[in-house]
Amino acid sequence: MQATNTREPAFDRRWLEALAQWCQKGQEADAGLVDLYLERRLELRLHVRRSARWVEECRTEGAAVRTRTDLRHEIVAATGTSPKTIAHLLSGPLDTRELHLQRPLPPPDLDAPRGWRDTAEAWVDATSLSDATVFLFERRAAIIQPGQWREIHTPLLIRLQTPTPSSSSLLATWDHADLPRWAPLVNARSQRRVWRPSSGERLPVVFTSGTSGVVMHELVGHLLEGDVLSGGGSPLEDGEASIVGPPTLSVTDDPTRFDLPGAFTSDDEGVEAEPITLLSGGVVCGALCDRFTADALGHAPGRGRRAAWNQAPVPRMSNLVVPKGQTDPQALENDLRNGLVITRLSGASVEPRSGRVILRVEEGWELRHGRRRRALAPFDLGGNVLGILKLIDPDLGDDPTPDWRLGWCLKAGLPLPTGSEAPTILVRSLEVV
Amino acid sequence: MVWTQDSDPIERLHRTARSTRDMIIHTDATRWEMFAKASTLREMVFEPDPPLEVSVVHETGVAVRMTGHGEAGFGAASGLEAQAARVAVEAAGSSLAALPFDPLPPARLLGCTPVAPPRHLPGSAWASHVAEALTRGVLQASGSTLLIRRLTFQEGTYAWLLATGDGFVASQRDATLSLLVELAPRSGDRIPHHEWVWVQRPDDFDPEAIAAQMCNRAILAGGPPVSRDGLFDILLHPEVGAHLLASLSTLFLPTPEERDPLTRLMDRNGRLGSEALTLTDDRSAADCPPVAPCDGEGLPTGRHILLDHGVPRHRLACHFEAQLHGEPTRGGARRLSYRDYPTTGIGALRVSPDPGIPPAQLLKDAGKSLYLLRLVAPVMADPATDSFRLRAQGVWLDGGAVEGFQPLVEVSGALSLLLRRTEAVGTDLAWYQTKAGFVEAPTLFITCQRVTE
Repeated sequence: MQATNTREPAFDRRWLEALAQWCQKGQEADAGLVDLYLERRLELRLHVRRSARWVEECRTEGAAVRTRTDLRHEIVAATGTSPKTIAHLLSGPLDTRELHLQRPLPPPDLDAPRGWRDTAEAWVDATSLSDATVFLFERRAAIIQPGQWREIHTPLLIRLQTPTPSSSSLLATWDHADLPRWAPLVNARSQRRVWRPSSGERLPVVFTSGTSGVVMHELVGHLLEGDVLSGGGSPLEDGEASIVGPPTLSVTDDPTRFDLPGAFTSDDEGVEAEPITLLSGGVVCGALCDRFTADALGHAPGRGRRAAWNQAPVPRMSNLVVPKGQTDPQALENDLRNGLVITRLSGASVEPRSGRVILRVEEGWELRHGRRRRALAPFDLGGNVLGILKLIDPDLGDDPTPDWRLGWCLKAGLPLPTGSEAPTILVRSLEVV
Repeated sequence: MVWTQDSDPIERLHRTARSTRDMIIHTDATRWEMFAKASTLREMVFEPDPPLEVSVVHETGVAVRMTGHGEAGFGAASGLEAQAARVAVEAAGSSLAALPFDPLPPARLLGCTPVAPPRHLPGSAWASHVAEALTRGVLQASGSTLLIRRLTFQEGTYAWLLATGDGFVASQRDATLSLLVELAPRSGDRIPHHEWVWVQRPDDFDPEAIAAQMCNRAILAGGPPVSRDGLFDILLHPEVGAHLLASLSTLFLPTPEERDPLTRLMDRNGRLGSEALTLTDDRSAADCPPVAPCDGEGLPTGRHILLDHGVPRHRLACHFEAQLHGEPTRGGARRLSYRDYPTTGIGALRVSPDPGIPPAQLLKDAGKSLYLLRLVAPVMADPATDSFRLRAQGVWLDGGAVEGFQPLVEVSGALSLLLRRTEAVGTDLAWYQTKAGFVEAPTLFITCQRVTE
């Protein structure tokens, strides 16, 4: 019976309490019931195409029931959160003949912030883009387990997307103080692209302007997700208590940072949000697990996240945070005789089994004798995860910077908002692919 | 409310349409359209040891577009019947905004094409029977060197209904069935392969033949390593060809004139591809994964010839985007889900082999060539800069005999030359699910392409 905060309730709390008691009966009947998940979403879209502007409003809700026995793991999901829908979903593991007679109070409507459209239009105008789409996401959910329930709150998110594949998009919390500053940068092209390093060349690379958070997302975050670890496919699986990075490098996954897009009050399995340290002093010391991989791996749960109401929770990141160092980021560039500085990535991916990571560079500069020279044309950087981690310079920048471009993380084709904040980082050698 | 497989959802969709109409007539809308959909997707994952993993998703929803007095709005809500219709109509009403054109197609353009009767899913024992037969087939065809690590059955049933205030009503009910197979060497020394197989008719499905096809490709990918670069003729496996063609689909969609790359890609004779390349889009054909009597806005479906022996003929354009770009409406509206606004997209892109060459003959006639078996990264194709890049696994062939396997090879160059040098197409057509939609492609033979390690 935990009402975790004073936010507006997502559902009638007496109804959630009744459902928790109902699920308790299921557990006593040994029906293998794991949990019941309820979710409501509001998605608003503002499209700008040349002279035309239009709005779309989409309201969805759904519920899912998970059951587990030794022989069968099942998730059954359906549109709606009405007693009738839930009675149908629970009718496998439970006797629900009386459940559909319940009359819960209707939940409060999900509403967009007042004047959202004007604000969104102002951001699009600030980008000087003729074509763009602004998405506004609001989500409220609840997880019910035998005898207990918990509401799940996440920040209101805004995503600005351009139809041009080469342009970055923006993902941020609606009320982030830096949003008015970021929006004009979506379409900023301050330089003519003139140069691309040769394929196969190995160069020192400075990741700045939040791009190091994306690098850590791939190098550390994905490879310490419980399903990757339990599948035996992570190069970091033997890394616990072994040194994989410099002693100054620590990485934490922190869902309590409500200024970043991956925040939540509780994960989608009902575990209260708490930071998990993944890397401390360059040593692997944690993992991102849902309840089932946590049992198998002996770690704490808390990162079972669902891409939507009709998906099962799987281990996913929230907000990856790298604490700042003590070095002036400019000094990291100044000390390089020959190298690259990356200011914008357009994407990144990691293949756990091979341990190969690819970073798609969108913008940056060639460094010569510590000075920015030619602007970079798009190209890829790559390398082996363990090799790159070992080549991270111990001097980290003192400029923690959130990434606002690449938070929309895809895993097995399912998108989920995540965030990151990291200082400028120097990797002493990376391969140009 | 949950739609079970046994109930008829069409009646519920009609009730939803009536509820929507009854609510819209109390608004200021002068024209409207509603789209409602009910679907059930069931996935079963078989692995060598229990537990069996099962996922069942019942989803329903309704979307409303309405216009009037120079304004238009779009609202969508999950569920069906009166409650969902009310939420969707209110959402459409609250999203009304001035639009310089009417986004709904005129009634005179709407209509339906007769299509094949709905397909049905096989009985409940079919999946376990096929799982056993495929497992056995893979062991036999590979000489016990390969095994199925994971086998996912994806069964879907769906029904939708489109109705407008002008009195037009169209509906469709159908079923889809596909398999996702994860194939791995028994020794565990290589990354597993994934194969997606669409099942057109469960009664005719031959697990042994499918197992043999999958094993042939997996075994080829394990030959002695060879590494080459330079200019070579290449062959694309149907799956690689399907993803390449999907990446070109934007060439057949409405584009602002100043950004239209088609004119720059065509040669002086107005040719985009070679004589061998004919592409069509046809969602009315009975053997397509998504069969529909009309597109997402109600325009009748049909066989659109996009590329006729290398010459561009037809471009798709849904009414909304056609208005936006000042073009005529030509159909091709697609709704990715009930929640999404209709946009132009390929529904069932297919290569027409005319007449086509049997794949074994193609491989033999290709001489010294590179056969790209499987993509290792998404296709990068940019019509605006006339460039493409394929990263794939490939085998080197000489007169049809395998010389060696290259685990990572890059083929890149000018997109226009790639299309014009596609000299032959195979007869081994197969459907694939791509990011742009369903594509049916055969083996493709392309001459003189730059290959790098």
